Amino acid sequence: MLSRIYIVSRQNVPNSVRLSTFLCGLAAGMIISVLVLMLNGVSFTDIINEFVVFVFLDSGGQAQLLTEFIPLAMVGLAAAAAMKLNFWNIGIEGQMWVGAVAATFVGTLDIGPESTRLALMFVAAAVAGTLWIAGPAFLKLRYGINEIVTTLLLSYVAFLLVQSLLFGIWRDPDSGFPASPILDEGVERLAQLGWGSLHSGLWLTLAIGAIMWWLMSISRFGFFMDHVGQNPVAAKAAGLPVVMTIVGAVILSGGVAGIAGATIVAGQEHRLTIHIADGYTFSAIVVAFLARFNPLGCLVAALVLAGISSAGEVLKAFYQLPLSIVTMIEAILLLSVLIAEFFGRYHIALRKREVG
Amino acid sequence: MNDFLLNWLVSIPVYATPILLASLGLIVTARSGILNLGAEGIMAVAAMAGAVSVLSGLPLWMSLFVAVLAGTLLSLIFGIATIYFKTNQVLTGLLLVALGLGVSGVVGQRYTHKPLPGFDPIDFGPLSDIPVIGRLVFGQDLLVYFATALVVAVWWGVHKTRLGLRLRAVGEDPYTADTSGINVSRYRLAAVLIGGALCALGGAYLSMAAGQVWVEHMVGGRGWVAIALAIFARWRPFPALAGSIIFAGSEALIPRVQASGIEFPAYVLLMMPYLLTLAVLILPYLIFKNWKDEAPAGLMKNYVREDRH
Repeated sequence: MLSRIYIVSRQNVPNSVRLSTFLCGLAAGMIISVLVLMLNGVSFTDIINEFVVFVFLDSGGQAQLLTEFIPLAMVGLAAAAAMKLNFWNIGIEGQMWVGAVAATFVGTLDIGPESTRLALMFVAAAVAGTLWIAGPAFLKLRYGINEIVTTLLLSYVAFLLVQSLLFGIWRDPDSGFPASPILDEGVERLAQLGWGSLHSGLWLTLAIGAIMWWLMSISRFGFFMDHVGQNPVAAKAAGLPVVMTIVGAVILSGGVAGIAGATIVAGQEHRLTIHIADGYTFSAIVVAFLARFNPLGCLVAALVLAGISSAGEVLKAFYQLPLSIVTMIEAILLLSVLIAEFFGRYHIALRKREVG
Repeated sequence: MNDFLLNWLVSIPVYATPILLASLGLIVTARSGILNLGAEGIMAVAAMAGAVSVLSGLPLWMSLFVAVLAGTLLSLIFGIATIYFKTNQVLTGLLLVALGLGVSGVVGQRYTHKPLPGFDPIDFGPLSDIPVIGRLVFGQDLLVYFATALVVAVWWGVHKTRLGLRLRAVGEDPYTADTSGINVSRYRLAAVLIGGALCALGGAYLSMAAGQVWVEHMVGGRGWVAIALAIFARWRPFPALAGSIIFAGSEALIPRVQASGIEFPAYVLLMMPYLLTLAVLILPYLIFKNWKDEAPAGLMKNYVREDRH
């Protein structure tokens, strides 16, 4: 036993290595996920059927896929903006909730003229999401308090706030269901595109994606983000506006997450219900990480995750599998990609131990 | 009103125990330089595994063992990924939460909402009849006493033993510890597994002693509260005990207020434990001028021996 394994950091990871380890990780994760599904009694041919044929090739499936894609892409972009600066926004669900609540308030109380109502709903949602993340951001920048815990705990607070509204003033007087009054068609809803339940939130998502791509990859602000994210001390020494860059990115993150909540309300559900933000925080982080915080990459990664979650709906309907299986598959994919990354970052050498 | 106070006081240990166990586990792990954000997921899996075992007819103690084993296995995934494959601790912790919630939802699907025979308060005979003290001190289940003893054990183990000194050395400066001949990876893995086992015990307590039933999402953020309390406690066992009593005090108030018929908005009441946790996390910074989190210097930094300069 005179040999041992050495790992040596690569000075530069070539793009080919980066890509191949990423793809290998993704493939390994998919194989494990398929095995997990088979263990739960879904046959291999059915998996291929649901995922490839129904989700990607069937017209109804494609519409469903794109509908799921809309909020996933938004929250992925929201997570990417903050994560790029090492600010872990684990409170995306909380910001979605308050965004959804703000939009529902504007919609149900008929605030503002009808022509600008929808725009006002989204502005309110963005402001609410921003305010919800402002506290953790301030505490992190001023006192160094860990933002992971504060953003996450505020999500629970936001969810309880939603519950108190849905079981309180907004409870449906006829059915007793915890759901807000329905938004008016044409004024307070995003237009349907006439393909399944797909709505014009799709254009909003693509617009946000494009704007954030410009912001993060082209503009001066993106240049600041790159450098502050990689090394805030060096960035400060170089005279870059470190605090303002972090504040800007965090506002962007909270605002877009708030808009995502409003989009589900105005486009998909047409009212505030109790499940709209379920599980989006983790999906957002997976999207952002798989895309390496690149906004255009986020759109692609969100499409993949949308495929998994719409297949999850099918599995739930036909195989009585709980939706938590979607979360599980996302976790498996992320884990295998993370582990595969190791083989790109380090060179592994097996050497004999030198004696003396 | 006296009854109200007494019932509230007596129920605090049941609420404090799961948080305390998880906090102690996180403290042990963090002292080695690793922050396991997966606590919530480990607790979820353990809560499910314990309940499923009992409902499948395993003896109570065996079920507890299964629950702890399941949670520890989950933390083993975290440990191997972060320590040997150098994955980002935050991302790996978050995915552990997702994995744990996912697994518990899928496996426990058919066992939800079924009452189960769990750990009941021990009867100390005449001692339990002493007013107030009798029910508070001599009217709890075995795991409450175990968790209390564990506070001392963790303090002693981490701060008073040679192993504990090495553990802290690994957490503060793994490069120096390695040079001194301490096996950093082994210490870290051991700390992750011990921490995972304690989080799992906390999770199992929820379904097997406190609730005596399993429902999905029953952990309800307690793993995150445990992390917040470990930070508040600045990674020390005794302040963690104080923190968990504060949290439990507010949580135990919820059913008491509801039972007493006092008019109070239910959801504001339910928010209180989370708001209080945020408050204890933030207030020291506002009150004391030079309050530092005093985290181990190597916390959340992966150790790569070959990167030593």
